[in-house]
Amino acid sequence: MGAVWNIAATTVGEAIRRRVLLVILMIGVLLLTIIPSLSVLSARSDDSVTVGTMFAVMRGTSALLAIVLTVYMIPNEIERRTIYTILSKPVQRWQFFLGKYLGAVLSLLLMITLMTVFMLVVYAIFQNHHASRLLSLAQQPVMYWIEMSLLAAVAICISTFVTPLINIFLSFGVWLVGTVLNPLYDTIANNSKSIPIMKSISKLIVSLVPNFADYDTKNPLINPGQPIQNQGLYYFTTIFYGVVWIALLLIIGALIFDRREV
Amino acid sequence: MPAAIETIQLTKTYKSRSLGLINVVDKLDLTVQEGEIFGFLGPNGAGKTTTIKMLLGIINPSAGEGYVLGKEIGDLNVHKVISYLPERPYYYEYMTGMEILKFYGSLFGIRDEKKFQSLLERVNLAGDASKIIAQYSKGMQQRIGLAQSLINDPKLLFLDEPTAGLDPIAHTEIRDLILQFRNEGRTVFISSHELSEVERICDRVAIINKGVIERQGHLDELLKGARIEIIADDVPKETATKFEGPDTIVSYSSNRLIVDIPEGANVGAVIDELRNAKASIVSVIPRRRRLEDLFVETVGGKNAKKLVVESPEVVA
Repeated sequence: MGAVWNIAATTVGEAIRRRVLLVILMIGVLLLTIIPSLSVLSARSDDSVTVGTMFAVMRGTSALLAIVLTVYMIPNEIERRTIYTILSKPVQRWQFFLGKYLGAVLSLLLMITLMTVFMLVVYAIFQNHHASRLLSLAQQPVMYWIEMSLLAAVAICISTFVTPLINIFLSFGVWLVGTVLNPLYDTIANNSKSIPIMKSISKLIVSLVPNFADYDTKNPLINPGQPIQNQGLYYFTTIFYGVVWIALLLIIGALIFDRREV
Repeated sequence: MPAAIETIQLTKTYKSRSLGLINVVDKLDLTVQEGEIFGFLGPNGAGKTTTIKMLLGIINPSAGEGYVLGKEIGDLNVHKVISYLPERPYYYEYMTGMEILKFYGSLFGIRDEKKFQSLLERVNLAGDASKIIAQYSKGMQQRIGLAQSLINDPKLLFLDEPTAGLDPIAHTEIRDLILQFRNEGRTVFISSHELSEVERICDRVAIINKGVIERQGHLDELLKGARIEIIADDVPKETATKFEGPDTIVSYSSNRLIVDIPEGANVGAVIDELRNAKASIVSVIPRRRRLEDLFVETVGGKNAKKLVVESPEVVA
């Protein structure tokens, strides 16, 4: 695993220096800083609106970071010929692929942590809440990190067989379907009154596209009176679901990459 | 002496939408002996880099067999004792020279800082070890590339265009390093367009064209036979075309003609022809046959159309 970790570490080193990622991150941080301060100025200062908007900004920024970071990772290595120097060493293609993915996941962890720290500091200054409230808010970014790791797995898997530009649209499409439409299809599939053909189509889509919606657990944080039932079990199954999807996507991606002419 | 590289009918076929199946490398039979510097020559698109990629196990052959240091190509154990310097290599620009060596060393499980330091000294980069790669010149990047290729103490080095785009001083430095590799008993496989460099340092060469090996052997044997170069001014174009022949290299520009003929050819006839055309003879110089002559003879005829397009003045 030494080679995998070293490739991951260099990937992090490169990612945190990529200007386009830094610009996206800075815009995200800026928006997170502005939102709580604007709520002070508004006539109807509503904590739930502030928290909801901040999480929406963080999620959108993280998704953009995950896609932009991952879609170019393998194609860039091929274009710049770095891959040849690495693969001529005792490194197998799956190790290279896994190292790049882990590097992306670690970079996302750093970036989401930075956004979380900014968000909590600004929130604490403007909303004047207890530490326990801040701690509960910090749970959501962890779920976003898992979600973005899943999105990065989708993007890196697709990057083994399409160009980066097409990949941006495909990955974003998968995330959009998994975020917006998946819960809808899920409802149709589980409703006994639904038309059978619609049920079958919904089940197929739900099975083929990862469900990203379950990682957005901000509602109980916005409305503390409506907690998630069996919270521990919910988090465990959601994280487990993500890990299984990630493993599956990485295996498929590694198998395609292994056969690809570079 | 055992072979460091041996290929038997090694073939790589690609599918093209317009041309169908294309053999980029076609039934390649190549032998490189241990401890020699081997030059792998050919025009652009001849199949040189594809061959290297197959030998390194980066791409799979479509047919045939290949052995590197006695093991089948693609064997990961071989990668511990070989190294590769790609053409115009890119290294992570935010890293320092020392960090590059640490990174590539870590892929072998090597963490010996003294070794990295001595490699930097060897390629004259000890004073620039803490500079980031973005601050390195082309020559320095090539030298750090050579340093990374020596991390595992390789028995066999693949160097793809190691002197491309370098200034004359960097050329000399890289050439000296390559010669040192041979003195240390390493095998060096060089793919290059720099024919004069190859001629100076290689023991044996192979010329590949359109995926097929056209010539292979010791330089001394391949370059047997001297040549005579005749230069004349005020030569009419019609006269220039008269000298075209299978073993003659003719170039014509601004009424100046350069005819390059084999030693045994009739020099007097050429001179008489030029005098009859009222041309003034500038020089008649006997010289040793060069690798460039061999290369043009081998590849030039087959790519004649291409040569005319690239250099309209060359008439044969």
